[in-house]
Amino acid sequence: MANQLELSFLDQVREDVAHLAMSYPSRKAHCRYVDVRIAIAQGKGAVAENGMDKFSTEDYSFSFGVRAIAGEKLTATGYFGQLLGAADAGELLKRLEEALEHAYDRALWSARHKSAAREEFPRLASTLYDLSLAPIEIRQDTIPAQYQIDPREVPLKEVAQYTRHVSRQVQALSREVIYNYIGAETHLERLLFVSSEGANIDQTWAITQGTCFVVVQGPDAFQELYDFSGHQRGWEVITQGVDEAFIRYPSLLDFSLALAKDAIELAHSPPCPATDQEVVVVTDPHYNALVCHEVVGHPSELDRALKMETAYAGRSWFLKDLRDNQVGRQVASPLVSAFSDPTIEGFGHYLYDDEGTPARRAYHIRNGIYEEFLSSRQTAAILGTTSNGHYKATEAYLVPLIRMSNTAFAPGDRDPEEIIREVERGYYVVGHRIPSVAESRENFRITAMKVYEIRGGRLGQLYRDGGLIADTRDFFMNVDAVGNDLRLFAIPNCGKGQPMQTKRMSNGGPTMRSRARLSGRT
Amino acid sequence: MLLPLSELQRAAQEALQFLMAQKDVREAEIFVSCNGILHCRLNYTSHLPCNGVEEPKSVANYGIGIRVVLQAPEGEGVLVGFGSEPNDISLDGVQLALEKARRGAVADPEFVSLPRPTGEMRRLHAYHDPRIMELKDQELVDLGWQIIRQGLKAFQSAELLLDRDPQELALILGGDVTVLQERMAIVSSAMPHVQTDESTLILSFVTAMVEGEASKGSGYGAVTHWERFHGEAGREAAEMAVRTVGGVRVPAGRYRVVLGRQAFMDLLENLILPGLSLGTWYAAASPFLGQLGKEIASPKLNIIDDGAAEGLAGSKGITCEGLPTGRTELIRNGVLVGLLCDWYESQRITKDPRAKEKLGVDPQQWRHALVPRNGFRFARGGGRHYDMQPGIHATNVIVPGEEDHSQLLRLVGDGLYIGRIWYTYPVNGLRAGDFTATIVGDSFVIRDGRLAEPIRPNTLRINDNIHNVLRGIIGVGREARPTLVWAADEIVYAPEIAVEALEVQPITQFMGS
Repeated sequence: MANQLELSFLDQVREDVAHLAMSYPSRKAHCRYVDVRIAIAQGKGAVAENGMDKFSTEDYSFSFGVRAIAGEKLTATGYFGQLLGAADAGELLKRLEEALEHAYDRALWSARHKSAAREEFPRLASTLYDLSLAPIEIRQDTIPAQYQIDPREVPLKEVAQYTRHVSRQVQALSREVIYNYIGAETHLERLLFVSSEGANIDQTWAITQGTCFVVVQGPDAFQELYDFSGHQRGWEVITQGVDEAFIRYPSLLDFSLALAKDAIELAHSPPCPATDQEVVVVTDPHYNALVCHEVVGHPSELDRALKMETAYAGRSWFLKDLRDNQVGRQVASPLVSAFSDPTIEGFGHYLYDDEGTPARRAYHIRNGIYEEFLSSRQTAAILGTTSNGHYKATEAYLVPLIRMSNTAFAPGDRDPEEIIREVERGYYVVGHRIPSVAESRENFRITAMKVYEIRGGRLGQLYRDGGLIADTRDFFMNVDAVGNDLRLFAIPNCGKGQPMQTKRMSNGGPTMRSRARLSGRT
Repeated sequence: MLLPLSELQRAAQEALQFLMAQKDVREAEIFVSCNGILHCRLNYTSHLPCNGVEEPKSVANYGIGIRVVLQAPEGEGVLVGFGSEPNDISLDGVQLALEKARRGAVADPEFVSLPRPTGEMRRLHAYHDPRIMELKDQELVDLGWQIIRQGLKAFQSAELLLDRDPQELALILGGDVTVLQERMAIVSSAMPHVQTDESTLILSFVTAMVEGEASKGSGYGAVTHWERFHGEAGREAAEMAVRTVGGVRVPAGRYRVVLGRQAFMDLLENLILPGLSLGTWYAAASPFLGQLGKEIASPKLNIIDDGAAEGLAGSKGITCEGLPTGRTELIRNGVLVGLLCDWYESQRITKDPRAKEKLGVDPQQWRHALVPRNGFRFARGGGRHYDMQPGIHATNVIVPGEEDHSQLLRLVGDGLYIGRIWYTYPVNGLRAGDFTATIVGDSFVIRDGRLAEPIRPNTLRINDNIHNVLRGIIGVGREARPTLVWAADEIVYAPEIAVEALEVQPITQFMGS
C-alpha cells in the first residue's frame, strides 16, 4: 500500500523534471517552449455548526499542469492538467511525458487553425498573431515557508476541538444567534516550477485560514454576517492571531465573537437610509479592502484589459485599446495611490509567479495617475513591457490567470480620527460585505457591515444594511483625505476564470474620505 | 482516457465487501468516479493581438471516496467520517481512504444515517454520448475554432463591416466551450447493488462586442451529443452585438420589463435557487423562510427541477448519493411547494427543534416536499468528484410558460427588455432578498409593445428585491432554451418573463455616450 505523499517527494524528482522540461522542445520539430508546475499540499481542517462537529479532515493533494507553445508559422498554446495520487509517484515522469504530448498536440493543431483563419478571414483575422513571451531573468531558487506551528504537526483532534469550541462560544453569546458556521484550516503547499528556458523554482507556503458566518434574529430584524481571518503562517494564526505591521487578527475565537456581537447589535439597529445625492463618506480600511479589490485590482489585470475575459470577468475602463487608455492620465485625486506587491507579507505573498517571473511591486495609481497593469509574460509582450509577476493559478492543474497579490490603497499621512472629526455631516462606513460592480469596473455598489451617522465630527446612529453606490472615477477624484492606518486583510475567495478559480490574496487600505450615494434596503 | 465503467463498478463492489468486514464500520458508502473536464477558452479581437483559441486545456481525475459510520470507541454513539484517495481505486486506495475517514470522523448529533432508498425508481439509463467520451485533442481544438469561425462569418457578413475598418470597430469574440465527461459508480451498505451512471455534455458560452460602438451580444448552448454541436453560440453572439449597435442611455425609474433568458437565469442562480435549497433554510438564511406552502410569487410562476428529464442537458440517472433523480416541483402557481434537498439535509431538518419555525410547516407532514433528489458532488467547473461530499445542486431547472415573445412585449407595452445582467448579488445578505446588478448587453427599449432602440451596455444599475420581482411577474414565455451563467452547475431551461416593475438607475455618466 502506498503511503501518504509528503512534500519532500519533490526533492526526489526536481532535477529529472527540470531535465524533461529543458529537453522536450528539442525533441519536437515545432515546439518553442514548455513549462511544468507540480504541487503537493498537506493539511487539515474542520467545520462546526451551532456548536456541533460537522466535519474534519487531514489529507494531501498532488497535481500538475503543463503548457506548450508550438507552431509551424504562427504559434499557439496548449495545456494539460491532472490530479494525481500517491500511487502515481513512481510514474510521475511518464505522466508528465504524456501530458506534454497532449499539450503539444493541442498547441500545434490550434496554431494550424490560426494560420488557416488568417487566410480565410483576411480583413478580420490579421490580429491573430505569433504569440511570444516577454523575456525574464531565468532563476533557480528555493523559498521555504514561514510558520511557528507546522500545519502537519497540529493534531487533527485539536483542530476539530478548537473549531467546535469557537462555535459553542458564539452560540452562547445570545439566544438571538440562531446559526453559526465556524471553519478552520491550515496547510503547507509546495510548488515546483520548471521551464524549457531553465527556470527551476521551488516555493513553499504555510496557509492558515478561519471562517465565521453568523445569522442573528433580533426582535424586529435579522442580520447575517461573514468574514475571514488568515495569513501565510501556521496554526498559530487561528489560536493566537496575527500582530504584524499591516496585518492584525485576534484568535479565531475573539474574531468570531466580535463578528457575532456586531451582528447582534445590527439586528437591533434601523436600516440605513438610501440617499439620492452624494454625501460625505469616511470609509474604514476593511471596507476599502473590497473597494480596492473590485475597482482597482480587478480592472488592473491586463488579461481583462486586453479583452481576454470579456465573456465572464469583464473588461477594464482603464484600457480601451493600445492607443486609447488611462496610462499616464489622472484617474483619481492626487492623494490616491494603489499598488500590488507580492513581495510584502500577506495572504497574497510570493516571490515568483507561476511562470517563474520574479515578482515586484506594481503601482496601479500613483498620486492619482494611472501607471501599471498586472501582467503575465504573454500580456506584457503585447504591451511591449516586462511582466511584474502576477500570473497565478490556484491549483497546479489549472491554467494560471493574471491575479492580484497583496493589492491595496497606499497610506497617507492623516490621523483617521481627525478625518472623522472634520466631518460636520456624513457617514462612517465600516467593514465590507457584498460587492456588485459594473462590467468594466466603472461603477460599484458595495454594502458595508456597519454604517454610522457622523454629526459634528462624532459618530452617532448605527445603521444596518447600508453601503455605497458610486461611479469609480468620481469616487476616486473626490477623495480628500487618506489615513496613515494601512491594514491588509485576507481575501480567500476571489473568483476568476473558466473553470472558476478561487484565489487567496490580501487587499487593504487606510481610512479614506470621499463622496458617494448611500444604499439601503429595497 | 477515462477508466471503463466496469472497473469503477468492480472497485466499488470490492470496497464495500472490505469495509463491511471491518469491526467498527456500521454503515458504508463508496463513490468511485472519473472525470474529464475539457475547455477551449476563446479570445478574438480585431484591434488587439489575439490567439482566437486562447487555451485548449483539460483536467482529468479519478479516485475513490468513502463515507463510513463508525462505532464510537468510547461508549455509545457513532462517528461519521469521509475519506478519499486519488488515482488508486484498488483495495490499497480503499484502505488509505478508510484511514482518513477514521482519523477525521466526528460525532455529529444531527446525523441520522447514510442515504437509504426513497422508494422512487430510476428513470434515466444509457443517455450519454460515447462519442464525447472518446474526444481527441484535435477535436477539442476544433470545437473552439468552430465557434470562432461562426462568429467571424457573422461579423464578416454584417452590413456594418462593409465600409468600416474592423480595427476601428473593435470587434470582440470571447468565451469558451466546455466538454464534460463523467463516469461514476456508487454502492452502500443500505443499497448494496452497485449503481453506475455516465453523462456527457458540451456547453458553450460566447460574448461578442462591437466595442467601438459599445454594443454587446451573447450566445450560448448546451448539448448532450456530439452531432448536435454546431458552434452557433459564436454566430448568435456576433449577430446580437451587431444588432445592438447604437445603444441609448435610459433615465432612472421603475419600468415594466421583460427579463431575457440570461437575466432571469442570473436571478435564479444567485437568489432564487439558493433560497430554495434546504441547507439555506437550516441556516435561517433563505428569503423564503417560513413560507413553505405559502404564496411567494405571482400565480403565473411555476419552477420545477427535473434531473431525470430525457434529452435535457442537466439530466443524470442517479444522484451522487445513489438515489434516483426526478421531478421536484418547487413553485406551483406561485406557491412554494418543494425544496431542493440532499439526504443529509432532508434528515437533519427532522431533528431541528426550530424546523417548524424555519419551514412554516411541520417537516413530518411535508416530507413529500423534502425528497432528496439533488445530492451531487459537483465541483471544479464540472464533473462528479470522489473527493467531495454530496451537496445540494439543481439539475435542469424548468420554468414553463404560455406567452410567446411578442405577447410578452405587448404585456409590457412601454418599458425595457433586459437581456443580460451581471454581478447579480444579494447585497444585504440572501435572506433580505435585496439585489443589485448592472445591465451589460442584449437589451432594448420596448415601445408600443415592440423592441425599439438598443440600450447601451453598462449604463444602468438595477436595485430591487427578489420578492418584488417574483410577485410582480405578469407573463412567462413558452420558448425556453438551455441557458448558462458563469460557474453555475445547473442548466436552466429559461423563458423570458415579464415583470410589472423594476427599479433602474443610470450609472457611469463619466464614460460619455
